[in-house]
Amino acid sequence: MFGSFLKTSQVKSPWLMHFDCGSCNGCDIETLACLTPVYDVERFGIINVGNPRHADVLVVTGTVNKRNAVILKNIYDQMPSPKLVIAIGACGCSGGVFREAPNVLGGVDKVIPVDVYVPGCPAKPEAIMDAVVTGLGKLKGILEAS
Amino acid sequence: MNLNTFYLAVAGLILAPLVGGLVAGVDRVVTARLQSRMGPPLMQPFYDVGKLMSKVIAPASHWQGMFVRWALVASLASDVMLAAGADVLMCFFVQAASASFVALGAFCGNSPYSKLGAQRELFQLLAYEPVFMVGILCMAKAAGAFDAYSFMAAQGPLLFKMPLIVPGLLFVVLVKLRKSPFDIAASHHMHQEVVRGVYTDYAGRDFALLEIAHWADVTVVLWICSFLWATSPLTMVVTAGLFLFAALVIDNISARLTWRTMLGRVAPITLILATANLVWLYLE
Repeated sequence: MFGSFLKTSQVKSPWLMHFDCGSCNGCDIETLACLTPVYDVERFGIINVGNPRHADVLVVTGTVNKRNAVILKNIYDQMPSPKLVIAIGACGCSGGVFREAPNVLGGVDKVIPVDVYVPGCPAKPEAIMDAVVTGLGKLKGILEAS
Repeated sequence: MNLNTFYLAVAGLILAPLVGGLVAGVDRVVTARLQSRMGPPLMQPFYDVGKLMSKVIAPASHWQGMFVRWALVASLASDVMLAAGADVLMCFFVQAASASFVALGAFCGNSPYSKLGAQRELFQLLAYEPVFMVGILCMAKAAGAFDAYSFMAAQGPLLFKMPLIVPGLLFVVLVKLRKSPFDIAASHHMHQEVVRGVYTDYAGRDFALLEIAHWADVTVVLWICSFLWATSPLTMVVTAGLFLFAALVIDNISARLTWRTMLGRVAPITLILATANLVWLYLE
């Protein structure tokens, strides 16, 4: 019973950390809009945290370049397992219009494993919330399989 | 110790953290409603702690685990003492030890935010402990003894004999609930300024245990506040609820103060008011 409560808790309490990898701020604004009274993601137990040691879900916006790849990897490594990564927007998914730039490595998946991709330029708040829920469904599947 | 006291102590050990968790849930729902949001479910704090319990992460320092467990034991001990009708002043000292362990554990971490938060936690201790102690002394003077049962058995509400300790107790509730304008050691909302301050380096199971200790602390503080109108269990619950609601309203309408303002202005003013009340009780 206690074990099943712990598994349920992992799905019902996703603490989210947002990292701007080099976004134009369009996707950042849409991500933060999810926290406003209009969308109110706290309904699902989601909290925006600023500390990777407390985070369960890493939301990354923007392209990954040679300078910030190390920081992205460092943040990911500091997060406790099990963890999810969500790449937001065209830039986060693939590098977007910047993918050919000499300093750009590409999407988030060039550095860390990504669980859910959210396309769009910028991605809509509804799509971001749907991505978190999809990611939690994936996590639930993993927990049930274990 | 008779068997009744033993049962009450066990009830305090089990129920007090659960009540603290429910208070945290009510806090989040009411705060959301005050901000025109729906908010999380009432049980959300329990899900959060359950999630943290199942997380796998190495502690920032091996000492932290020990300090977290000591903090939890001290917080639960203060609950047990209060439930068993022990000396309220001793219960207050045990709870202060818990807060000190939290700060000591944070000093063991590597993060500068954690160390800064630990320093601020000590400043907070310095600010609210004297006010809280004088408040308890006022209650003891009016009730004629220091044990919790005497406080609850006092003739009529204690509030009318000690109105000047109310600002001080509200200050203590705000600090212990980690609410604005006194969430100086650990930003309560959205991880601002010092990230999570004193909590920054705690993670996983240690953080979950610390959260349970925090619930136990909140229960003790609200319980002591409820002694102000302890004519029946219902009036005690209503008094504690009023303190909680006042703290939530103040949290939503005020910004964070600096530790200098807290230590230089708020603490002396509330302490002077509470001491004046104590002197008045002695002269009466």
